Amino acid sequence: MTEKNRGLSRAREIYSNRSQRVKELRAAGKKIIGYPCVYVPLEMLTALDLIPYQTCGDMREQVTEADRALPGSFCPVMRSCLDCALKNKNDFLDGMVTIHSCDPQEKTARVWESYANYPYFHFIDMPITVRPEALEYFKGQLDDFRKTLEAFTGRKLSPDKLEAAVKSHNRQRVLVRELYELTKPSPPRISGTEAVQILKALTSLPVLEGNDLLAETISEVKSRRDVPGQKAARLLIWSSTLDDVDVMQVLEDKANVVMNESCGGIRAYRAAVKFTSNPLEGLADYYLKEITCARTFRQTTLGETAKDYATDLQSRFGYLKSVVKQWSINGAILLLVRYCDPFAFEMPSLRDYFDSLGVPSTYIEYNYTAGALAPLKTRVEAFLETIS
Amino acid sequence: MVIESEKKTINRLKSMHPLRAKVNETYLKSVEAIQAGKPAVWGMLNFYYGDPILKAMDIEVVYPENYGAIAAAMGVAQQYLERADAEGFPTHLCGYSLTTLGYASRMMKELNGQIPPEAPLGGMPKPLFLMSSAAICDARYKWFQSLGRYMNVPVWPLEAPIPGIKEFSIEGYDKMVKLGVKHLRDFVAFVEEMVGRKMDWDKLDRTVDLMLEVNRVWHEVNELRKARPCPMHSRDFWSAMPAALFLAGDLEDSLKLYRDMYDEVKKRVDNRVGAVDHEKYRMVFAELPPWHSLAFFNKLAERGWNFVIESFGYHPPIPIDLSKVGDPLERITRFSLQFLVGYYEDARKQNVTGGTSAYPYLKYAREWRCDGALLHPLITCRSASTHLPYVADMLMERLKVPSLSIEGDIVDLRLFNPEEALARAEPFEESMEHYRKVRIREGFDW
Repeated sequence: MTEKNRGLSRAREIYSNRSQRVKELRAAGKKIIGYPCVYVPLEMLTALDLIPYQTCGDMREQVTEADRALPGSFCPVMRSCLDCALKNKNDFLDGMVTIHSCDPQEKTARVWESYANYPYFHFIDMPITVRPEALEYFKGQLDDFRKTLEAFTGRKLSPDKLEAAVKSHNRQRVLVRELYELTKPSPPRISGTEAVQILKALTSLPVLEGNDLLAETISEVKSRRDVPGQKAARLLIWSSTLDDVDVMQVLEDKANVVMNESCGGIRAYRAAVKFTSNPLEGLADYYLKEITCARTFRQTTLGETAKDYATDLQSRFGYLKSVVKQWSINGAILLLVRYCDPFAFEMPSLRDYFDSLGVPSTYIEYNYTAGALAPLKTRVEAFLETIS
Repeated sequence: MVIESEKKTINRLKSMHPLRAKVNETYLKSVEAIQAGKPAVWGMLNFYYGDPILKAMDIEVVYPENYGAIAAAMGVAQQYLERADAEGFPTHLCGYSLTTLGYASRMMKELNGQIPPEAPLGGMPKPLFLMSSAAICDARYKWFQSLGRYMNVPVWPLEAPIPGIKEFSIEGYDKMVKLGVKHLRDFVAFVEEMVGRKMDWDKLDRTVDLMLEVNRVWHEVNELRKARPCPMHSRDFWSAMPAALFLAGDLEDSLKLYRDMYDEVKKRVDNRVGAVDHEKYRMVFAELPPWHSLAFFNKLAERGWNFVIESFGYHPPIPIDLSKVGDPLERITRFSLQFLVGYYEDARKQNVTGGTSAYPYLKYAREWRCDGALLHPLITCRSASTHLPYVADMLMERLKVPSLSIEGDIVDLRLFNPEEALARAEPFEESMEHYRKVRIREGFDW
């Protein structure tokens, strides 16, 4: 392997041609399973030697085919995902797993299953609370998922294999956190754009290959000399998903984006799956409780009969406090994809929380199209002027 | 634009009026009871999970989403929408939620907890707690969580599982029941602590039985609408539904009124009396109607359009026998689940996996023998709109039934243009005539 196709360079290459590796693997006899959301337990796919591949939208592609199935006033990311699928851009998939992480995911899953013709398609229902009975139900959903995977592959999902897969994916989570350690210095040793390229590359590789890529990249970044320049602000971006370098480049044109708090960033890697006697328990616990997406209803205490706004904010957004401190954040952009209701409802409260931390914040909305980049740039620059 | 002079082109049911009156009566009684010191709860439409429990506990419930519709229809919603906007809530959120958030902001920030004087129907008083729901859309629980910005009142989010149609066959039902029963038992404990009283389980038992019976009779009323000509128009359905869907008012009284309605509709069927004088086109309507422009349907009735079935989300679940289920919480759970999964077996047989909210329209169009569908996508209500393109596609593909889509909104009344909609009626009739011939040619029996 030459230097050119290692580390950052390789991540860039994979980002630009995401499906190349899974197509090679498919040609070699592997089965590729698509998933649209980080809530799908990839460990279960890996354990059965299936290759997970995150199906993404493409903001440069005009939505045409999805119009027959989804209205215009609907999550543009999911519209774009479905559009790509209907245009046969994911024709290398052997199946899809979808999950009820939010209403658009659930609604899109229904029509996706109807219009696309995969040999395997499964929908996992997901509760909104982290109550014990909700966790139990979710565990049952994962058990149903296991049964369909076993039927599809003709193989048993053994606890040993699942535990090994959990170890590999946990290793990936550790490595991603290690990668983000490299954005702590000032200037950061890695740009927000590079981080997006690496993390998106991970979603199109088998987990062990992804771990190798991460290890190479971390090593390269630690010793690199050409670090990004120091800019006017150190930003945290909070969004549903931010996995496109064009958007990130707009955001970090005049600032350092040191934390991508989205499903295209650190969100799915912040914690680890616990090892439990029944591995599905650890997976259910992790996926229901630990991913800090706005879709989950969190409370200070379960079933609380009294409420205080400040402690409520702490229970919902408290994880951001240490991020702000450790990454020396001095500005937060709440980047909303239009029609994303779970995140849209959070906007005023999250701004209240950032106010309580003394971090200036702004809320910017865009519609996940290339045409939205210019207005986004203007809004970001205006925000940076106010905090400079 | 408001359609002038409402002509009596729709033959309204007499038995609808007392059911319709229950809505306002219930609101006013709630306000009086609350003023007399009874606890009030703000509830989200929850498809039966929580309502019978609150009813058995003698707690007054007001529904902000209904209130949003009232505020819009009475012209006071705009100031609340503007206020929510100023508070930083994105304008594309559910219009009802924005109305409530603006209302709560005004009540708590400006009026120190007093009901705003401009609030229609006595307003919504500060609640003891909030009962949200995961059913159907994300807004139902995120909206009440957001109210914490204005009111330090606890929220109970009711879980509402939605498995896939295909996946449901995998022993899922028992797990859903287990989740529901445990969840509701904890909810009862929560309510008991909030109000400082214990649940009267015998009363809950009776309440649940009444709820089931009210909805069974209401279901039977709608089954009668399969007759030709259809004896009951969608306008009567929408007027009569709150007593069954929200358990509005006294349930014994509601049961009597729905039985009266059954008798009246049956009599019409026996005498071949239609809701529209000369039924020319049998129509299915999806989803939420333009509450502020219902007279629009009179104009369509003049053209022979009879709306024979509608609004899946407002319909009672397909009845199931729960007489052998002793635990009222389990009866509630099974009945609530039935709202969605009651359609699943049929949907699987038809090989339609694409949507819990979409499949019922295929069933409606087939069994109620519809000539066309009028779809009403709403700009700020995605849960009532998302599936509509798919519904249109499926109706055409499976049944050769065409759809007409007319955009509107739940609070921004300007978006629905009845004149423009009426202008599209005539060409759509040509389409319905064409597909009537196609259906016959392809072996359908209507």
